[in-house]
Amino acid sequence: MTARLVAQNVRKDFGGVQALRGVSLTVDEGSVVGLIGPNGSGKTTLLNLLAGAEKPTSGTIELNGRRTDGLPINRVVGLGIAKTYQIPRPFLAMTVRENVAVAAMYGAFHRKAGEARDDAGRLLSIVGMDRQAETVAAELTVQHRKQLELARAIATGARILLLDEVFAGLSGDELARSINLVSKIQKELGFGVLVVEHVMRAVLTLSGHVVVIVEGRTIAEGAPQEVVHDPAVIEAYLGTEVARAPT
Amino acid sequence: MRFPTFGPTLYGLALVMVVLGVATPFLPIIVKVQLINFLLFVGLAYALNFMTGLTGYVSFGHAVFMGIGAYALGGGIDRLGFPPLLGVILGAGLGAAFAVGIGLVTLRFRGVYFAITTLVVFLAAKNIVPEISELGGGSGIFMNLGFQPLAEFYTIWTIVVLEIGLTYWVTHGRLGYGLRAIKSDEDAAKTVGVNASRLKLILFGISGMFAGATGAVYAWTLSAVLPDTGFDITYSLRMLAMIIIGGAGTLLGPFLGAVIVYVPYNYFQTVQSLLGLQLAVIGALVLLIALFIPTGIVGTVRRYVPTLRRYVE
Repeated sequence: MTARLVAQNVRKDFGGVQALRGVSLTVDEGSVVGLIGPNGSGKTTLLNLLAGAEKPTSGTIELNGRRTDGLPINRVVGLGIAKTYQIPRPFLAMTVRENVAVAAMYGAFHRKAGEARDDAGRLLSIVGMDRQAETVAAELTVQHRKQLELARAIATGARILLLDEVFAGLSGDELARSINLVSKIQKELGFGVLVVEHVMRAVLTLSGHVVVIVEGRTIAEGAPQEVVHDPAVIEAYLGTEVARAPT
Repeated sequence: MRFPTFGPTLYGLALVMVVLGVATPFLPIIVKVQLINFLLFVGLAYALNFMTGLTGYVSFGHAVFMGIGAYALGGGIDRLGFPPLLGVILGAGLGAAFAVGIGLVTLRFRGVYFAITTLVVFLAAKNIVPEISELGGGSGIFMNLGFQPLAEFYTIWTIVVLEIGLTYWVTHGRLGYGLRAIKSDEDAAKTVGVNASRLKLILFGISGMFAGATGAVYAWTLSAVLPDTGFDITYSLRMLAMIIIGGAGTLLGPFLGAVIVYVPYNYFQTVQSLLGLQLAVIGALVLLIALFIPTGIVGTVRRYVPTLRRYVE
């Protein structure tokens, strides 16, 4: 059975601030959905709700028809949804291999310690970090930390990955390589992926479907090329005048 | 089947414990008493190591579990007619039960807030217990057990052996990975599926169980339970000092820390002019370690001497 993550009419209030005012989206295993929007539009909040890091104020989140909203994040991971952090949070005192092995042990696979270490080795070669396997995570570069973040999410055995700005802060070659890597892994392993992203190039290259949220509401969705030409989207990103200017 | 290799640290500790176990009956009585007192320190160090060492949650309240163990022994012997060993087992059980109960509430807090709640629990216990007349009120319980050095010795010896074995088992398996993840970044640990709340509660329970058992043996050696000695904050501090000095969360650290804290503690008590200075010396030592080598002796050796990393854990 292929996994399907469905959020319906999700709202989230932080005190008086309405971070999300009713957003719906679906991520199917094997597909890539891009989630874009200006700063403060609620992207990371939505991702946290989907991952189980926070509870929605109202609305439902289901994985394969089973409600996941309200479950603690570690249970949601066990059901097959894993997220990465925008700013990587590796376990600094542990080696790269151990970082990934923890995820294999406590994620959906429940691997034993020995098996988990083997799994970690395989995964690290997939993300191109075999040479760093025994490095202590505190000594990694930003680029490697991001790759580790990805490897750790995959190691949980998740079928749906929620990637929070994995491409932010990368440029040129690094960016191209990272986009290729995510694309390759997604195709080979068939994950459903939700990419929350500022970097347009990444979203357009990877996603089959794009959802645009502004101030906690969906203002557009569809194929990437359609969405970027949508006047409402251009307005949200660049301001009214540009959107109305003759082309 | 592959024969498991346990590593030099565990073999070394096992050797020390075997030697102590075999030699003690033949040693002079004064040495026996000192070894019992030393092993009480070791027992407390490993007890706190389960919680503070392995999860990173600092507890000032472990003297409470000691006190609970002590009162369990006193109550068991005096009111229920238990033999001392059964009193120690009762102490372990009640230590674990109270730790889990207290942990269910206090483990919702993190970092320094958790540390403060443990201090509050300590102050509450210290003030409540002397008011309970069933527990002897302010004058405590006297047991009149007589002097039983070998029984006391082998009881605390067994407790320490169990602690060392369990520490090894916990740190080398699946549980150890999860705990290191929690200690490093609790939110990120949950994000990869670690059930942090449950793991912390289990470790707090184990920690309380061993502190309770050790506290019971301590009361046995005094043949009395007094509110003042049962709930003595300096025991909490001594436990912290031992694992900070030796290396929190390590297998050898608590033992090493116990040696370093016990020796001056004991020596100073025998020299009239130094009496009372032991806490100042231990405090200064902790301060120096915290400032210059915050990972303790074992952590520092492992960090700066890579060749020893395989031997010292």
